Amino acid sequence: MVQLRPRASRAPASASAMVDESQPTSEEEAEHGLLLGQPSSGAAAEPLQEDDEGDEEFDDEAPEELTFASAQAEAREEERRVRETARRDKTLLKEKRKRREELFIEQKKRKLLPDSILEKLTTVSQTNIKKSPGKLKEVNLQKKNEECEKGSDSKKAKVQKVQSVSQNKSYWALRLKDQDLRDSRQQAAKAFIQNSLYGPGTNRTTVNKFLSLDNKRLPVKKAAAQFLNNGWGTQKKQNAKRFKKRWMVRKMKTKK
Amino acid sequence: MAAAERGAARPTGDNRTSRRRRRRCREHSLRTSGLAPRALPGQSARARGSGAERGPRRSAGIRCVAYNNQSNRLAVSRTDGTVEIYNLSANYFQEKFFPGHESRATEALCWAKGQRLFSAGLNGEIIEYDLQALNIKYAMDAFGGPIWSMAASPSGSQLLIGCEDGSVKLFQIIPDKIQFERNFDRQKSRILSLSWHPSGTHIAAGSIDYISVFDVKSGSAIHKMLVDRQYMNVSKRKCIIWGVAFLSDGTVISVDSAGKVQFWDSATGTLVKNHLIANADVQSIAVSDQEDSFVVGTAEGTIFHFQLVSVTSSSSEKQWVRTKPFQHHTHDVRTVAHSPTALISGGTDTHLVIRPLMEKVEVKNYDAALRKITFPHRRLISCSKKRQLLLFQFSHHLDLWRLGSTVATGKHGDTLPLSKDADHLLHLKTKGPENIICSCISPCGSWIAYSTASRFFLYRLNYEHDSISLQRVSKMPAFLRSALQILFSEDSTKLFVASNQGSLHVIRLLEGSFKHLHTFQPQSGTVESMCLLAVSPDGNWLAASGTSAGVHVYNVKRLKLHCTVPAYNFPVTALAIAPNTNNLVIAHSDQQIFEYSIPDKQYTEWSRTVQKQGFHHLWLQRDTPITHISFHPKRPMYILVHDAYMFCIIDKSLPLPNDKTLLYNPLPPTNESDVIRRRTAHAFKISKIYKPLLFMDLLDERTLVAVERPLDDIIAQLPPPIKKKKFGT
Repeated sequence: MVQLRPRASRAPASASAMVDESQPTSEEEAEHGLLLGQPSSGAAAEPLQEDDEGDEEFDDEAPEELTFASAQAEAREEERRVRETARRDKTLLKEKRKRREELFIEQKKRKLLPDSILEKLTTVSQTNIKKSPGKLKEVNLQKKNEECEKGSDSKKAKVQKVQSVSQNKSYWALRLKDQDLRDSRQQAAKAFIQNSLYGPGTNRTTVNKFLSLDNKRLPVKKAAAQFLNNGWGTQKKQNAKRFKKRWMVRKMKTKK
Repeated sequence: MAAAERGAARPTGDNRTSRRRRRRCREHSLRTSGLAPRALPGQSARARGSGAERGPRRSAGIRCVAYNNQSNRLAVSRTDGTVEIYNLSANYFQEKFFPGHESRATEALCWAKGQRLFSAGLNGEIIEYDLQALNIKYAMDAFGGPIWSMAASPSGSQLLIGCEDGSVKLFQIIPDKIQFERNFDRQKSRILSLSWHPSGTHIAAGSIDYISVFDVKSGSAIHKMLVDRQYMNVSKRKCIIWGVAFLSDGTVISVDSAGKVQFWDSATGTLVKNHLIANADVQSIAVSDQEDSFVVGTAEGTIFHFQLVSVTSSSSEKQWVRTKPFQHHTHDVRTVAHSPTALISGGTDTHLVIRPLMEKVEVKNYDAALRKITFPHRRLISCSKKRQLLLFQFSHHLDLWRLGSTVATGKHGDTLPLSKDADHLLHLKTKGPENIICSCISPCGSWIAYSTASRFFLYRLNYEHDSISLQRVSKMPAFLRSALQILFSEDSTKLFVASNQGSLHVIRLLEGSFKHLHTFQPQSGTVESMCLLAVSPDGNWLAASGTSAGVHVYNVKRLKLHCTVPAYNFPVTALAIAPNTNNLVIAHSDQQIFEYSIPDKQYTEWSRTVQKQGFHHLWLQRDTPITHISFHPKRPMYILVHDAYMFCIIDKSLPLPNDKTLLYNPLPPTNESDVIRRRTAHAFKISKIYKPLLFMDLLDERTLVAVERPLDDIIAQLPPPIKKKKFGT
């Protein structure tokens, strides 16, 4: 968009010209003209009034002439400036992102096992593969997505616990993500069984009620099988016992 | 016939639930029916009942049962992961067991060709058990998520599993391991039950709301039969197909959670017959080999027997008819099995019930009566006599109690009040997810040892005034792990450990440390699991049963094999060496008792007499094995034995009863003449006042300790049962 230079419009100038000639009457007209001729806010109105005074001097001069070319050039300049800033911003962002990525990769690398051990593990798995051609075995380690992807497409990917062949120590390498998945599935399965056997909709009753059915049907009705609730107030009972012991000891002492 | 069908219980066995008795700390004094009738009145032995009031033993319910026809053995797996093998021809004795593991939630158990046992569970692994070495051969992950069902093909060479993700996987059974073959078509919901067609060409798989029939060769689903959800006229809950069975004529029988037994035709995929038999789930089904009868178990505790009978007596057309209900359980019957002559059921209430079918049994004697196996067949409690401590073994912890005492006196039959309560001294939790296999406390009370499948723990106890402190002995050698039996010598200086490889280790105990003395290598013969050890009180002899070659007796001082008692075809259930005379007393699972003199290397005279005459027929008909033998320190003529429902003092000086005399004869009233008393007295003094007995031992010459386990306590901590509506309640 080409931005127009804020120029005082002719309308108030003509109004003010008219005012000079016939001041008392044309003030109102000027106001009218101001009101009608311009969609101006209060702020715009004020410089106009100043301009009015300035314009009075340059009244006779022709308004500035802006050639199309200069305006176009100006516009292009603006565009270029804007583009430049955008590009700079983009490159800045890119660089930032790159640096951050590198930082992350470095941090990840620091967490990994040293390369020597990884090599050993992979070579051990290679020899295992040679030994049993029928099955596919991999070493699934704790990170390194590339290695995991290698094996995860085969159906028979096994979580292979590989014993290291290094001299100082031996250990198992396990993929933890598999274990979590397995645990959650096991939990879901147990919940299913629990729900289907003891969940809502099953017609279950407590053991106490079950055993007391016979007592209720006897010719001489007896109490329920677990009539007493022995688990009631265990803390209170313990406190009472301790207090009694201490009281007895005190009584013995005072007696003596 | 009908009355006998309903289960004539054995006269001395008392399989019915015992009369309700609260377990509490109390003093008993024995009636002299069991003890020396010639004793002076004031010398009655006082028995102390040990009341473990807190924390009853958490029994694990039975989850799966698998019957092997060739060897007549039953594999039972429980909810805590333990797998037990019962030898049904050796008087239903538990001869092997594999300890459990916390992560192993076994859901299926099956036998394959060549006596191989496989189990699969919710941790997604298929486990093979090594029955010779008594450990787990390997655990193979099936990569289908939790495994819900497993079935071995009729030929025994293939294994099929149904997984959580809806896939059915086929494995090939090769020597030493199993190998994945292929997947069948994947279904939408989890496969909860599987069954092979006897020819091995088709498979029925039960899932949630439908049953699929697969063709084995192509692996594709041929039919999908939808099951009606109607349960008590409400169809909100999904219908879970708990069991399927495939018959050779193409009929598929399914049992589901709506209480229905349905017959489907697999060729057309349509429903043929529908039986609504229960208001609760029907959870298990087992078909006999001849396919003329099958049994189903329901969640209400009832099992139903279905038989193929002809429509009329002359026609050849047959149909399936529900013939007999049996109510032997109080809780869900999660698994059933059908042997050629009996129906076997097990469930959440921890009982294993074997119900022989009268029409299949040839000889109609008391062997055809109902068998209910509730209590363990091995000793789980050990006793330290000097300090009067009892060590209780649970699956994940050990409890140490000191017995209470009393200063009051009384006559026979009195219950005396306690002056000092029983003390719970120690609650020792095991590290890790594995169950405890065996444990022992030394007679002096300062050493505790226990073993799990991968580790061995030895602790030293120090007693200061009233408190105790525990110290662990670290760096136990690796060969001690997975011990089957642990025993301390009488003076607590030596530790004997029987490992599952058949070897016997002798370890000397020093203050706070140990030294490995010797290892007796396994002798010839296959290793049995119920390896029992007994050491003589003078410390010279060690007896070990555990191989099929008989009981070996070792000389501890010279560290070599002394002699071997000749092999007997029934497994040993209890072993003990008498003080002074060094007679080895052996009890077998068919209720025979032998006495072998170790110094003389031959059976004693008394033992020969007993064998010649034979035991009383009621003694032989007891259905629980003798789990502990002990002796009186001052009276060498006495042998004290006990099983779950009685304890007996065998007086070797008295005459033996023949079949005509009364076996269980309580002391006649004192106004009877002495002559009649002498006439009816015989060697077996049986008392049934404490039952169900878990352990009984003589602490000193005047005191006896007995540990009871009332059935109420077991039932009290079981999961909720199905509601039974009774008129008037």
